[in-house]
Amino acid sequence: MQRLKRWQWIKTAPQQWRASLQRKLIRYGLVMGLTMVVLVLGFGRSPALADTPRHYTELEFAPLPEIQVPNYTRVELDNGMKVFLLEDHELPLVSGTAIFGTGDRLEPADQVGLADMTGEVMRSGGTINHPADELNQILEQDAASIETGIGGASGSASFGALTKDAGEVLQLFAEVVRQPAFPQEKIDLAKSQREGGIARRNDDPNSILGREFGKLIYGEESPYARTLEYSTLDNIAREDMVAFYDRYIQPNNMMLGIVGDFDTREMRSLIEETFGDWQATQPAPTVELPPVEQAQVGGLFVVDQPQLTQSSIRIGHLGGQLNDPNYASLSVMNEVMNGLGGRLVNEVRSRQGLAYVVYAFWSARYDYPGIFVAGGQTRSEATVPFIQAVKAEIETLRTGSITDEELNRAQDSVLNSFVFSFERPSQILSRVMNYEYYGYPEDFIFQYQQAIADTTTEDVLNAARTYLDPSKLVTLVVGNVAEIDPPLSSLGMESTPIDVTIPPRG
Amino acid sequence: MRCKTPGGQDGRGRWAPWRMLAIAMGLCLSVTLWLVPQPSAIARTLSARATDIQPYLDRVDDQITEFTLDNGIRFIVMERHQAPVVSFMIHFNVGAAEEEDGKTGAAHYLEHLAFKGTSLVGTSDYEAERPLLDQLDELFDQILAARAAGDMDEETRLQAEFDAVQAEAATYVNQNEFGRIVEEAGGVGLNATTSADATRYFYSLPANKLELWMSLESERFLDPVFREFYEEKDVILEERRMRTDNSPVGKMIEAFLETSFPDYIYGRPVIGYEDDLRNMTRDDIYDFYTTHYTPRRMTVTMVGDVNPREVQRLARIYFSRYPDRPNAPDVVAELAPQTEPRDVTLYLNSEPWYLEGYHRPDLNHPDHSVYTVINGILTRGRTSRLYKSLVQDGRIALDMGAADGFPGDRFPNLVLFYGLTAPGHTVDEIKTAMHQEFDRLRTEPVTAEELDRVKTQSLASLVRSLASNQGMASLLASYQAKTGSWRNLFSELEAINQVTAEDVMRVSQVMFRPDNVTTGRILPLAEQEET
Repeated sequence: MQRLKRWQWIKTAPQQWRASLQRKLIRYGLVMGLTMVVLVLGFGRSPALADTPRHYTELEFAPLPEIQVPNYTRVELDNGMKVFLLEDHELPLVSGTAIFGTGDRLEPADQVGLADMTGEVMRSGGTINHPADELNQILEQDAASIETGIGGASGSASFGALTKDAGEVLQLFAEVVRQPAFPQEKIDLAKSQREGGIARRNDDPNSILGREFGKLIYGEESPYARTLEYSTLDNIAREDMVAFYDRYIQPNNMMLGIVGDFDTREMRSLIEETFGDWQATQPAPTVELPPVEQAQVGGLFVVDQPQLTQSSIRIGHLGGQLNDPNYASLSVMNEVMNGLGGRLVNEVRSRQGLAYVVYAFWSARYDYPGIFVAGGQTRSEATVPFIQAVKAEIETLRTGSITDEELNRAQDSVLNSFVFSFERPSQILSRVMNYEYYGYPEDFIFQYQQAIADTTTEDVLNAARTYLDPSKLVTLVVGNVAEIDPPLSSLGMESTPIDVTIPPRG
Repeated sequence: MRCKTPGGQDGRGRWAPWRMLAIAMGLCLSVTLWLVPQPSAIARTLSARATDIQPYLDRVDDQITEFTLDNGIRFIVMERHQAPVVSFMIHFNVGAAEEEDGKTGAAHYLEHLAFKGTSLVGTSDYEAERPLLDQLDELFDQILAARAAGDMDEETRLQAEFDAVQAEAATYVNQNEFGRIVEEAGGVGLNATTSADATRYFYSLPANKLELWMSLESERFLDPVFREFYEEKDVILEERRMRTDNSPVGKMIEAFLETSFPDYIYGRPVIGYEDDLRNMTRDDIYDFYTTHYTPRRMTVTMVGDVNPREVQRLARIYFSRYPDRPNAPDVVAELAPQTEPRDVTLYLNSEPWYLEGYHRPDLNHPDHSVYTVINGILTRGRTSRLYKSLVQDGRIALDMGAADGFPGDRFPNLVLFYGLTAPGHTVDEIKTAMHQEFDRLRTEPVTAEELDRVKTQSLASLVRSLASNQGMASLLASYQAKTGSWRNLFSELEAINQVTAEDVMRVSQVMFRPDNVTTGRILPLAEQEET
C-alpha cells in the first residue's frame, strides 16, 4: 500500500456532512432555479454558468467542504476490552471487526502455520454450543458472516449482518471469539488444505517471486519471511492451537469496533451482555518483536523456470516504518515514481514498452521495517534492459532531483484525494483502531497530511539519498534463464541460483 | 460476469496461492489498463425478508435521475451525499464480441489507447507530431509487406527508419498526461476494463471536480489521438504473457473457451491472439473506434455527491458535441448446437485443476434468475452443495468455485465450475462428485431452506452494494446497457424471489446434459511423461 488513503476501505459515510451538504444543495438549487427562470424569459445566460464547453485548463473549482470526522464512542469494559462504536444509518446493516494482539510472528519457528491455522479453525470449527454446520447454516440463512484470521502482526475477527439479525449474529460472534471448539476434523481439513497449498506454491511465477524475495531480504528464518513446510505442519497439534488461542485471544488483548445501523446505548449494553462476563485468564501478553536486519546485502539471484516466456523481477532492500520522520518525503517519492504518469510508467512502460507492470515504492510498516521494492514483468530477452532501466530510475532519484512540477503534482495528488480516506465510517473507525493498536497518535493521518504539504524538493532528494542504497539492492529474477539475452552476467554480477524444490515430507 | 468462490468475504487465502491466480488472471475474464502493485437454522419467510428491506430499495428510486441526450447518450445519476466524492463510469456496450476474426484484441487495444490523450492532451505540439504518426503507420505497413515477402534486408532497413521516426515522435509526447491530470485533481481508482461484452472507463473524484470530469471525458472520446501506438503494442504483449502465456489457468481458459465455443464470439481471447496483436494497425483501431463507439452505445453513470440538475446542464454542454449516428448492426451470435461432450486437457507446470462448463442462455432470458439460484445453491458459501461435497466433507478438492455468465452474458454463454485437487486426489474424483450433485438437482427438488437462503443472500448482497459509489456506478451502467434499464437490477431480485424448486429442476434438466458439457483438465507435465 503506497498511500495512507489506500489503507482501509469498507462501508458507508458520516452523517455530519449531510447537513452541510444539504445546505449546499439548497443553495445550488436556488441558483439553478434562478438561472432557469432567466433562460425561460429569454434574457440569455448567467456568466457564472457559461454554457460552452471548456478545456480543463480553463476550469476553476470551488473548495471542498472541510473534512468532518464523525464522532465515535470509545469505552473500555472492566475486563480490559476496548470498544469503538460508530453509528451509520444509511442502510440496514451492522458490521464489526475485532483486533487481537497476536500474529504469526509470535509462533515458534518449528511450528510455522500455527497462528494461521488457529485463526482459521476458530471460525471453521464452530463453537461449543454451535458446531460448524449449525453455525454456517444459521449465518447463511440470514446472509450474515463471521470470519476470523491471524496474520503477520495481528489477529482479527469480523462479522456482518442485516440490522434485524445483528443481535443474534453478535451473540454468535461472541461465541466464536470466546468458545471455539477446535474439533479435530476441522484441524485435519485445514492441514490438508495447507499441504495442497505447499504443493501448488510454485505453479505461479509471482508466488515464487514474493516468497523468495521476502526470504532474501528478511532471511529465511525470519518471522517476516519464513514459509510453511510439511515438517512445520506436522509439528502442530490441537493442544498447540488451543494454547496459542488461550495465550492471545483474551479480552484484555482485544479491540472491537462496530459500525452501522444501531443505537449506541443499546449496542453498549449488548456488548456488555455478550462480552462483559468474559474474564482474562492471564495478563495481556507483552510482545517482544523479533529483530530485523537485511539478510542478503546486494546480489543477484535467479529461480530458473524453463517453461516461462516472461521474467518476474523484484529489486529492493530493507525499508522502514510509517512513523519514520521522513515518511512524507518518501511518500512524495513514491508518487513521483509510480502511478499513471509516474516516472517508471512513463519511461519503462509507455516509452520503452518493456512492461505492463512496473513499480518502485517505499513500502513502510507500522511496527517493523518494510521493504523498498521495485520490479515488474518483462519478456525473457528484455530482462537485463528492464533491470537496468529500473535501476537507472532509482539512481536518477538519488543523484538528480525532482522538479517543482513533480513535487506539486505529487502533493496535489495526495492532498486532493485526502477526502477519500474519509469516504466511509468503517474506514475511519478501522484507522482509529489501527493507530491505537500500534501506538500511533490519533491524528497521525492529519500529521501526515501536513507533512506532505510541507515537503520540499530538497526533502525528497535528501530522503532518496539517505534511504535508498544501491549497494544494498537485492535483485531476484524468476524466469527462463536460457532465454535471457543478453544474459544476466552482462549485469556485471555473479548470479546465485535458488532451488525452489519443495522439501518432501520427512 | 459474476465470479464467485465460496468464501467471498472470508479470511482464507494466505495459504492459497491460486486465489489471486484464479480470480485476477484467468477466471474473471476482463483485462484492465493496469494493475496497481502492492498487495439453530431459522427459515425466514419471504414476506419478512421483503418488509424489512423494501423501504431501502424503494428509496433508490428517489436517489436516481436519468436522462438521454438528443444524440442518444444515456446518463444515470444516483445521489449519495454521505461524503463529498463522486464515482464515474462510462460504459460502452462494445467488447471483444464486436471484433472481426483476425482482429482479436482490438477492443482492449483501443481501451489502452484511450489513455493516450487528444490533440490537446498528451502532446507538446500536435501539428508537428501528427505527420510523424502517419509516417510510422506507412513504415509499419511496409515492414509487414517486406516480412511477408521474406525480404529481411529490406525489413531491417525499414525497421531502422521506423525506430528513428518513433524516437522523434516520442519527443512530442507528454506521457500519460491524461492520467496525471486525473491523479493531480485527487482522482482515485483510475482504470478501465475490457471484456467480451463491454469496455468501461472509470474513476472517482472529489465532488467539486464534476466539471473536470465532463471536460476531460467528453474530449477523450471526441478527439482521441492514438499516439505511442507501437510502444503500447509491446505493453499489451507483456500483458498477454502475464495473463495467458505464463499462467497455467490463463492458458487453460483460452483453450477452454476455444473448445466450448467453436466459431463463436465468446470463443476468442479478449486480450487477443499474439499474431493478431502483432499485425494490428492504427487504422484497425480507428475503424473499431469509429464503427463501435457510437453515442447510442454509451451509458454514463455517476454515483455520489452530485446535483442531478447540474449534471444534466453540464452533460448537455459537454456531451451534446457528439454527433448522433447509427450504431453498427448488432453482432450476429450464432452458436451451433452442441451434440456431444467436448474436452480439452493441457499438461502444464502445475498441479491439477478440473473445469466443467455448461451452455446457458443470455442475461435477458426468462430463466436467467433460475440459473442464478442454481449457481447459488451449488457454490455460494460454506453450506453450498459443491463446497460441502468437494471441499468440506469429501475433501477431494482444496477449493472450488464457479463463474456464471462466462465469459460474458450479453449472448448465450457458460456456467463454469472448477475445482483444485486436494493432495492425493484426482480430477476424476472431482468430476464424479460434481456429477452427483448435478444429478441430484435434475432428479430431486431442492429444499425450501436452500431456496430461501439464496434469496436472502441475493437481497443482502444488493443492499450491501448500495453502500459503494463505485459498485453502484458499475452495476447501474451494466444493467442499463445490457438489459435496457437499470431497474432490472432491482426487478431481478423479484424474479429470484419467484423461483421455485420446480424451476430449479426444470432448468437443471436442460442444462446438466452430457451433450452440453465442456470439460477442461490441467494435469502436471510429469503425468504426460508417464503416459
